[in-house]
Amino acid sequence: MLRMQDVSKIYRTDTVETHALRQFSLQVNEGEFVSVTGPSGSGKTTFLNIAGLLEEASGGIYELDGRDVAGLNDSERSRLRNEKIGFIFQSFNLIPELDVFDNVDVPLRYRGFDAAERRQRIERVLDIVGLASRSKHLPSQLSGGQQQRVAIARALAGDPRFLLADEPTGNLDSQMADSVMELLTEINGAGTTIIMVTHEPSLAERAQRNIHVRDGQVFDGEPEIHLAAQTA
Amino acid sequence: MFRYYLKLGLFSIRKNPVLSSLMVAAIAVGIGACMTILNIDYVMSGNPIPHRSDVLYHVQVDSWDPNDPYEDPDLPPEQVTYLDGHALWQAQAARRQVLSYKSSRVVQPAGDDERPFAALTRSTTSDFFAMFDTPFLYGGGWDASADNNEDYVVVIGREVNERVFGGRDSVGETIVLNNQPYRVMGVMDAWEPLPKFYDVNNGPFEEVEELFIPFSVSIANEMGSAGNTSCWKPAEGGWEGRLASECIWMQLWVELHGEREKEAYLAFLDGYAESQKAAGRFPRPVNNRLNNVTEWMDDREVVAEDVNVLLGIAVLFLIVCLLNTIGLLLAKVARRTGDISLRRALGASRRAVFAQYIVEAGMIGAAGGVLGIGMTWLGLQGIRGLYGELDFIARLVAMDWPIIFMAVGLAIVAALAAALYPTWRACRVHPASQLKAL
Amino acid sequence: MEFGPIWRALQRNKTSYVLIALQIAVTMAIMVNAINIIQERSEQMARPSGVDEANIFYLTSNIFDPEADVEAQIASDLDAMRNFPGVVDAIASNSVPLSGSGWSEGIRLEPDPNLESTGIGVFFADDHGINTFGLNLVAGRNFDPAEITWHDYESDTWPPLAIMTRAMVEELWPDEPYENAVGKTVFVHRTKPVQIIGVTERMQAAWNSWSGVERSMLVPEWRGSSFSRYVIRTEPGRRDEVMPQLEEMLAARFDNRIVRSVRTMEETRERSYLLDSSMVSILTFIVIVLTAITGLGIVGLASFSVARRTKQIGTRRALGATRPAILRYFMLENFLISTVGVVGGAIIAVGLNMWMVEAFGLQRIAWYLIPGAMLTLWFVGQVAVLGPARRATTVPPALATRSV
Repeated sequence: MLRMQDVSKIYRTDTVETHALRQFSLQVNEGEFVSVTGPSGSGKTTFLNIAGLLEEASGGIYELDGRDVAGLNDSERSRLRNEKIGFIFQSFNLIPELDVFDNVDVPLRYRGFDAAERRQRIERVLDIVGLASRSKHLPSQLSGGQQQRVAIARALAGDPRFLLADEPTGNLDSQMADSVMELLTEINGAGTTIIMVTHEPSLAERAQRNIHVRDGQVFDGEPEIHLAAQTA
Repeated sequence: MFRYYLKLGLFSIRKNPVLSSLMVAAIAVGIGACMTILNIDYVMSGNPIPHRSDVLYHVQVDSWDPNDPYEDPDLPPEQVTYLDGHALWQAQAARRQVLSYKSSRVVQPAGDDERPFAALTRSTTSDFFAMFDTPFLYGGGWDASADNNEDYVVVIGREVNERVFGGRDSVGETIVLNNQPYRVMGVMDAWEPLPKFYDVNNGPFEEVEELFIPFSVSIANEMGSAGNTSCWKPAEGGWEGRLASECIWMQLWVELHGEREKEAYLAFLDGYAESQKAAGRFPRPVNNRLNNVTEWMDDREVVAEDVNVLLGIAVLFLIVCLLNTIGLLLAKVARRTGDISLRRALGASRRAVFAQYIVEAGMIGAAGGVLGIGMTWLGLQGIRGLYGELDFIARLVAMDWPIIFMAVGLAIVAALAAALYPTWRACRVHPASQLKAL
Repeated sequence: MEFGPIWRALQRNKTSYVLIALQIAVTMAIMVNAINIIQERSEQMARPSGVDEANIFYLTSNIFDPEADVEAQIASDLDAMRNFPGVVDAIASNSVPLSGSGWSEGIRLEPDPNLESTGIGVFFADDHGINTFGLNLVAGRNFDPAEITWHDYESDTWPPLAIMTRAMVEELWPDEPYENAVGKTVFVHRTKPVQIIGVTERMQAAWNSWSGVERSMLVPEWRGSSFSRYVIRTEPGRRDEVMPQLEEMLAARFDNRIVRSVRTMEETRERSYLLDSSMVSILTFIVIVLTAITGLGIVGLASFSVARRTKQIGTRRALGATRPAILRYFMLENFLISTVGVVGGAIIAVGLNMWMVEAFGLQRIAWYLIPGAMLTLWFVGQVAVLGPARRATTVPPALATRSV
């Protein structure tokens, strides 16, 4: 489903060369819920950007859904992102001028669905996140938890192969965070692969598998133990 | 505090150099366009003789065609016939009265090296100089006895004096006009009434004549008009026929102080009209008018229609430039909400934020105004270049200080007006609203 | 394709968009009305005067000696001028077309002063008039030398013959072919009969802004006063060479006169239409500057709007928007704003024009100016937004995951 082999990412400025990822290898299978943890600056976000096709790797192999993404041009990457990946951001990234309905509509527009199909999909995912009654509200009229639910609906609407969540509960209080995590677990239960970046061990534990990143490398270890516990 | 705001403003302007110069340029261009046209309008509609404009009255009597008014809606002719002009002047029913017309003479300088040249001439009665308060370099006008005795006397302009007498005090000397010798009574100093109120129908922005000679002398010498002549019925032949005709070609002005004198003179005019009706003239209903200088300028619409059209367009132009500035300032505020809420969080009051932004807008306005002066100057040069061949335009495009102050003032006011709404918006930014989601 | 959400998004942030739409609207109103005036003036300036403008000049002979024999002087001057090398022909007249000062009379079909009269511009000329002005005689005949009279200052006679322009005879007899006018008699000075012996194709009167400028006539008379105006036509291309020579020759012929106001027909046309041509230049300049300012305003506002929405753009990219899709978004947004602007502009433009028709007697705007101005401003808007929109496409999608 998602395979990285010796992926590296180097950021260059005039004077400094930063190795954000080095020899990063990882495989995520269909239906998994993987959490990615690690301290600040460890390369979590870089991993997320590369996995989500927001950035290109400097080296190594990255296969998404069995397809090597190296050498794709910007438009092809955009299309792939649109079709296969759903994003959930820490600060929700809802478009403030658009109401809930139109926000969920954004990726569907780029997909090129017709109006009836879009409406049907939007209604379905808003139903899933429990916000069908708020479709005409603006983001500013919603609580943080509700906003993140809209963002999750937006990520789900295009039936992506997997969700990429970047600190999805980072801006929420614990009660709201819980409900968002429950929702993600539910979605995973329905068959969607999820990769979630977080720095909170307690959240990471709720995933099936945890990957620890340090200094731009995958650190194998204890997460495997939790895997068995969770799959039971 | 004000200096601190000035500093902040400067900093902000420097931080967005392209945008700031765009705003300054838009204001400058708008001001330039507006002030250029306003300047011309201002000169055209100026009061040519402010200290006397309410005691000088232009006289109209309706001697025109029974079938057709001179001008719709039923206006009397804008000039008078010789018959009426001379009779009304002779009656001396006002404090002062002046009857004059435009003509032309050939000046023949003494000596062989100077060639004869033509000079515009005003044939006028003696009160002209006192009534219109003309400036003199040397000497003065003539008195009423010269009118009556048909004395060959003349007041010459500065340039003629330069050309014929080398600029010396020529009072008492002799100058030859159309082969006839005249005695110089005075040399008129530069005089530029704008508009040339005493004869607007022969070009309201023409220059003042170079020669002034007694009306009676010109009539005796059968010197015709060099200005507009209109007749509703054809003149009989010869000079006598012309004088006895219903053709209009002269301007009559009277000096009256206060409503009572004006009413008395109007009554006198009505009596005159009735007497002419009795004599078989004045076939139209009695319709006499007295207009003071400013009324007469308005009545004649001396401000060219094109200037009014351009003025309207220039005002709209300025509005576009202001809309432009408001839009850009708003956008600027929208971008700086983070900065504003930080300041608010750090204790800046609404007033302080307001002051900060208004000072910044004022600076942009002032810069626009100063640049606008340059634009106005360029605009006037451009107009002068375009109309250059029409001599009178050059006299309309001189910049003067009131205009300059107006330009800067207008720019600052305009910029402040443009800044009010964005500034008000800036003040409403909530201290906490923007800090988190910067 | 995305009109709905873009339009709804615009609603949330109305003020600055309303301002730019208003700016576009006022710009369009000015543009349409300025072009309307430009068109009107240009049409007026394009009317031919009917005379050979390139080769005609004229001057004023001012005889200031009261004792001089003016008639003899004119006759001998004309003779000298007509034989001058490079001169095609010359006459003594009172004025030339478009000069701004001239003689007009009223023509009546019956000798009844209560009837309406038709105004006409008068040019005195002898049998050389048609050749000197370079007129095209389309019906009837020229004057015969024997028909030319010398106007006695003491008399109030009027010559009994005239050659009128086609526009004049068509004004008098609108239902008849102009050829029929030849031989007819009309009345001048209330009761004096004038027979039309010829019709010229065209000769404008002295006043370009007069509604009857196309109505004029040649009258077979010399009128001498101390001022005579000599009109001279030269061989093609020799005007500038002949002008000073002829002036010198005339000045030398008689001491008691001065020759002045030597001017070409071309110059006269220029001066005559100077106010109009200047108005055209000023308005053209205003339209260009205004459009530029509005364009720059759109650039400024769009730049801000892009800067303010970088995060949003990054998010859209992350959600699968291609670069062209981002470009299209801003272009469409501008198109919507412009559309509001130009629709408003059309209304303001028509209103402004209605007022100007009322207040200044300007002509109505031609229908195509409105769609023309709309297209222009749409285009200007799209070009103006192109730069900022392209900058928007360079926002990296990874911006979406940046937390600051």
